[in-house]
Amino acid sequence: MLEIGAAAPAIDGIEFSQPTLLAFFETDCPACHLTLPYLNALQAAVGEKAVVAAISQDSACPTEALAKSLPIEIPIHIDRGLAASRAYDPLAAPALFLVDRGRRIAAESTGFDKAELNRIAGRLCALAGVPAAAPAAPHDGNPQWKPGCVSRHREPESGAGDPAPVDVHAQRGQRAGRVELSAADDPYEYCYEHGFADPLPVVPPTVERVERMLAATGLPPERIVARIPPNFGAATVEKIAANAVMAGCRPEMMRVLVPLTRALCDERLDIHGVQGTTHSAAPLVIVNGPVRGQLGFASGSNVFSNTARANSTLGRAVQLMLRNLGGAAPGEIDMSTLGNPGKFSYVIAENEEAGPWAPLCADFGIDPRRSALTLYCCEPPRGISEHAARTAEVLLRAFCPVLANLWSRRVCRAPEALVVIGPEHAATLKRSGFSKNDVVSYLYENTGIPLCEYDGDGGEGAKTTQRYEECMIRGVRCYRKFNGTESIRVMVAGGPAGKFSAVLGSWQTGRRGSQMVSYPLDDE
Amino acid sequence: MSTTLVNPLDERVRPQANPAQRLDTLQGKRLALLDISKPGGSIFLDRLEALLTERYGAASILRIAKPTFAKPAPDEVLAKIREAQVQATIEALAD
Repeated sequence: MLEIGAAAPAIDGIEFSQPTLLAFFETDCPACHLTLPYLNALQAAVGEKAVVAAISQDSACPTEALAKSLPIEIPIHIDRGLAASRAYDPLAAPALFLVDRGRRIAAESTGFDKAELNRIAGRLCALAGVPAAAPAAPHDGNPQWKPGCVSRHREPESGAGDPAPVDVHAQRGQRAGRVELSAADDPYEYCYEHGFADPLPVVPPTVERVERMLAATGLPPERIVARIPPNFGAATVEKIAANAVMAGCRPEMMRVLVPLTRALCDERLDIHGVQGTTHSAAPLVIVNGPVRGQLGFASGSNVFSNTARANSTLGRAVQLMLRNLGGAAPGEIDMSTLGNPGKFSYVIAENEEAGPWAPLCADFGIDPRRSALTLYCCEPPRGISEHAARTAEVLLRAFCPVLANLWSRRVCRAPEALVVIGPEHAATLKRSGFSKNDVVSYLYENTGIPLCEYDGDGGEGAKTTQRYEECMIRGVRCYRKFNGTESIRVMVAGGPAGKFSAVLGSWQTGRRGSQMVSYPLDDE
Repeated sequence: MSTTLVNPLDERVRPQANPAQRLDTLQGKRLALLDISKPGGSIFLDRLEALLTERYGAASILRIAKPTFAKPAPDEVLAKIREAQVQATIEALAD
């Protein structure tokens, strides 16, 4: 399809000496039937100051029949051999191309869409110097929108074949489009109104700000870092930069955002499923290593809150990309029943200084001295309070009932957990000489659901007990909650005061769901 | 003073397509039921299969399932549906 700004190819019988609106149509296309009568009204509004022309992709006979029945009162050109259709290459019919006096494509649309039709009508009137017209009234009995039909020249029998599929291995994408705002436009309102953002205001992604982001990477702007599911929008370095600007990131955050975008699209994480689930899962980013201090990531008090620019803006950039490039707009692709406050931003750093063990990334084989990102798709945190325990065993006993309730209490084996241990609790565990493996083993061995709770009521998890493992916990026969010790991950985060910890439950897990992934960063 | 923004959205123009032509009857048609593999889905689909056959006279029902509801249908599953040359596929969600 010709791009905006391209030169308009010649069409027999059309001079382009005035602003011209071309409407490609098919005689058997319902969306074309909806569109064409509005163009009669538009021609009446612009009079002699502009041309509105219909281009039929069919032969004279059906075209004349349709012109009589609708009726079509604007000039009709038969596109013999589909030559004009091939030159303009619309994806679908109806297709509108607005050509300005310089014979450039000024606007275009495909399918029937009242808002687009009125927008293009307004542009034509402005070019013609006549009062603005909006021929498609909102409540005139026609739908607001209806998809069109594949343009004739793209139908297999016309010789054009199927449109080229997206090359998922291409590493070079397009430069991002530029949007010119007039002095009258408020950039903040423009970004909101044009769906650039979540409902909070964003920093307008001006060319200058995006250039500063790009300068910090040294990477070519059109380099495709990943394609974000489910729409597989290309996350080029420039698109990442534009979303990072909107989120409020500083330019140096690009060194984290580029590998983070790659990690987000790691198939093991299955962000495709997470974007579309009704569950509350959202990708949590956990930061380890020297980058925490270099970029100011918070790992202490209020670690899950809005306490540090690095955490808040990085997490918001992730969410903006998932929405703007991946297509996961709430209420459309993202139909989460309850959502997750982490969908504004969900980034924590590990408090490695307060942790008695190797950091989380080391569990995935990454050198604990390096900076790293770990991604885990999970629910909001479930809090744990234990202020009286003096030993590891008593403390961890408070964790087990919270772990037992993950996903749905009587569902065993499938859920996974990230246990975020507060520093005071970590100190108690250290005093008892517990290694990280000891903590995980204790939680695995002591978390279960008593068999007496499976009393035949048919609730979730109650019908799949043949897959569960029986065990004894404190003299009670139970089903073991977790599939193995690898289902429980442990890290330390939070402030120095307060005997609190948290458990974060998974979404669907394993190879058939989402798996935690960890990526090293290049340290400076 | 004018401002120029860098478009942060996915700018690809998506081809629009009409839905496949609807069947005028199920009588004598070959159908596929694609189970997305949610728990309990097979119970619902067993009943749906019986209704399609007994009440609407479908000639055959291909039962096929995605390995997991959490991911898109893999190519092998789509290929099996194509090979069976069914006249309609119902992607079936039951939970």
